[in-house]
Amino acid sequence: MNLKHLLLAGGALLTGTSAWAGGFQVTLAGQKNNGMGGVGVGLSLDQAAMFYNPGALAMVRQNGVQIGANATFARSAFRAQSGTEQRELRNSTVTPFSLYGSFGPSEGKFRAGIAVYTPFGSKLQYANGWEGRYSLTDIDLKSIFVQPTVSYAITDQLSVGAGLVVLAYGSVNLQKDIPITGQSGQPGHLELDGKAKNKLGFNAGVFFKPSDKLSIGVSYRSRVDATVEGGDVKFTNLPASVGANFTANQFDVTLPLPATTSVGVGLMPTEKVTIGFDVNFVEWSSYKSLDFTFAGNNGGGPNAGLVGGSTTSSSRREYQDALTFRLGGQYQVTEGLTVRLGTSYDFSPVKDSFVTPETPDADRVGISTGITYKIGENFGVDASVQFIDVAKRTQTQDDLINSGTTDRVAGTYKTRVVTPGLGFTYNF
Amino acid sequence: MHSLIHKTLPGLAVLGLILTGCQPDLEAPEAATRGTADFSRYIAVGNSLTAGFSDNGLYLEGQQNSYPSILAQQFKAAGGGDFVQPLFPDANSNGSGYLRLTGFDANGSPVTAQVPGNAGRNPGAPGSAPYVRFEQPINNLGVPGIRMSDVQTAGYGSTLGNPYFERITPNTTPTAPFETYFQRVKREAANATFFTSWLGNNDVLGYATAGGASSTTTTNVDTFRLKSNRIINALTANGAKGVIATIPDVTGIPFFTTVGPRLKATLLSRSVAGLVVMTGAAPGGPATANRKVVPTADIRDASGGRQLFTLTGAGSVGFIGAPTGKPWRDLYRAGGGSGPAGLAALLNAYGVDTTAAFGVTPQNPFPSAFVLDDVEQGNITTALTSYNNTLRTQAAAKNLALFDANGFFSSVVQNRYATDAVVNSTSFITGNIFSLDGVHPTPRGYAIIANEMIKVINAKYGSTIQPVNANNYRGVRFP
Repeated sequence: MNLKHLLLAGGALLTGTSAWAGGFQVTLAGQKNNGMGGVGVGLSLDQAAMFYNPGALAMVRQNGVQIGANATFARSAFRAQSGTEQRELRNSTVTPFSLYGSFGPSEGKFRAGIAVYTPFGSKLQYANGWEGRYSLTDIDLKSIFVQPTVSYAITDQLSVGAGLVVLAYGSVNLQKDIPITGQSGQPGHLELDGKAKNKLGFNAGVFFKPSDKLSIGVSYRSRVDATVEGGDVKFTNLPASVGANFTANQFDVTLPLPATTSVGVGLMPTEKVTIGFDVNFVEWSSYKSLDFTFAGNNGGGPNAGLVGGSTTSSSRREYQDALTFRLGGQYQVTEGLTVRLGTSYDFSPVKDSFVTPETPDADRVGISTGITYKIGENFGVDASVQFIDVAKRTQTQDDLINSGTTDRVAGTYKTRVVTPGLGFTYNF
Repeated sequence: MHSLIHKTLPGLAVLGLILTGCQPDLEAPEAATRGTADFSRYIAVGNSLTAGFSDNGLYLEGQQNSYPSILAQQFKAAGGGDFVQPLFPDANSNGSGYLRLTGFDANGSPVTAQVPGNAGRNPGAPGSAPYVRFEQPINNLGVPGIRMSDVQTAGYGSTLGNPYFERITPNTTPTAPFETYFQRVKREAANATFFTSWLGNNDVLGYATAGGASSTTTTNVDTFRLKSNRIINALTANGAKGVIATIPDVTGIPFFTTVGPRLKATLLSRSVAGLVVMTGAAPGGPATANRKVVPTADIRDASGGRQLFTLTGAGSVGFIGAPTGKPWRDLYRAGGGSGPAGLAALLNAYGVDTTAAFGVTPQNPFPSAFVLDDVEQGNITTALTSYNNTLRTQAAAKNLALFDANGFFSSVVQNRYATDAVVNSTSFITGNIFSLDGVHPTPRGYAIIANEMIKVINAKYGSTIQPVNANNYRGVRFP
């Protein structure tokens, strides 16, 4: 094992993706893009263009399929203002994945495809007995989108494309403790579990490549509301004398998955070098509050989680629209080997003193790297690794009181995320 | 194959490195420091609140969660010494006996039961054996029931019979049982370096919880000033630093705010315009000034109104409009009376006719003991304002930290008190700050008080004592 091997291995693994973006957005849609800080709107790299910019698909000349998956390892530290212990997550791994296939006449102007990807999700399991347990103990949010796409090259330089975005699968599982003490001294526990209704949206884009050295893209992905109706409510470990007050057995909730507008530029100074720069504008301001409606009594009411409750609960979010900047490039070392490097800076949509345990968010810096190794004419292996550093963020109990956000925990969060990914491409 | 291993091994090694190095670490909070204070011998002066009284009793769990005990535990990280409390032994852990919650009735009202005491002294039998004694030097000098006006009363623990002071007062020589609270404080303060002093609550509380109907009045403001001065002088004589706490407005506690709103709602639903109540303690029949009409709209609830109803009157509310003498009988027994002759004398003195409709006729009014009306509240406010001005002045004169418990509890009444997604309030049972007697805090309530005191101590003395996580202390325990 010599240095060259180590570097190569490191390079392979640092092939990255922009693992998480702000909020609960996950931008890990293509392994090549992942390795370049998540750029792609101004490029026509491969079939993943269906996610980044459907307008660029017509410029991807080959038919092909590709499949990719990531493993997201989030490591978090939290110190409560009221606590002395550092709390870490019970470690869990989530596996965002993507699947693309595109088809079209080799010389024709049309290209059609289908994409499956996971643009939103979150899974966090907090340490047992952590200070924020009355706000959240566990969250598992999943979404899978399916997107049939068509793209048309109006000229050799200009193409457009659009896809129908289908929220094919969505699920939410939220758990927290209820601050009611029984004889055992243990608090009660609440679990909400539901599936989202299927919803439609769209994804459209324009791609313009005025020269061999320059390309420009614009894309827009519409907002889709993930709506759960009739999700299951399960109370456990409540003292017998108050259990009857918690009659809720079903809940409704709507979570906005916000619209994203992106602009990207691609530069190809030589045949072997591609550089991309993207800006994403995510309309998080649609996420004003998280409102649950219960069939029956959730025991909430004026004293959250206590007897004498109500049939609704509302928690302020008031996210703000947020920008992400991405810069990345690739270099074709040999016929078969391409290496990539990229970075991103992601502004948090979460305002100060509005940080919740379900998205312990702050501004994020991402670094990623990746490679593609082609085996023969048609087959390629892509690998990427992305490292995200989420800035340290503190909110005090006084901040929470002043903002009317006392349903969350005061303290300091710090998170890092490593996301290796692997993909296979077959072109024909 | 060999080459594959050759190529992937370094990769796995690097991945392992990345994941290990990925776990972030946050700096631990700064270690507690004492600033200009010296916590090596801390003593706590006060009444039931300082003793850890809870659920209408003094018992081991309450003592262990007293705010002085919590403070002492936090002081330890900054040079604090051992803190001795006159704990009831494990075998007598029920202490004086206390209330526990057994459930809720059909109307959702809490039902409590008495857990009998097992430390001697049966409250129903004044001649019974005293509480198990505790005669060593102590740091927690909280004596349930003591008023500022009692601190220099000789025989307060013996001939006058405060069983909690009796417990901690030596009876080794014929004169020792007559040691006053002031003398005891002076003895313990001789080598104390830090103190908290929270006296004076009972100087209004006795008058208030009796609905202004007892012979006990609020303590004379000059007496209060004099006694308070002496206590604070004794505490600071050797240069000890400390905290003086003000007295919270008793009209915000659940003892006074729980029954009224429910009563008002019931009266409104039955279209009853108002109640006839008794006020004060003066004897006299239906035509005298001790009868008073309280319009329903004037009963205090969230929407307004002035008149407060005590928690002790909860059981009488259901009899309003019925010809009954039960509330009077209950009141008579609760006051220690027995035998029909005494009851008849009581009814006669106040001109009560138990065949008249209860609570709505001057012949059978709602008893004064269950009503704290606006006039009585005014008396309390006047006394409290004066007491608290005295305490503030004295704290400033001695350059001591001041815990404005009055201001703090007023803010909790208004805004509730949230920590780590748990909202506590001054509501009865559901609020988790006040215990089942509606007057004394739960362990959670005491932890919150300790944290507020830590704030003012740190601010005054430049120390960095860590607060506790109040959510780790129980509120009301549900069956």
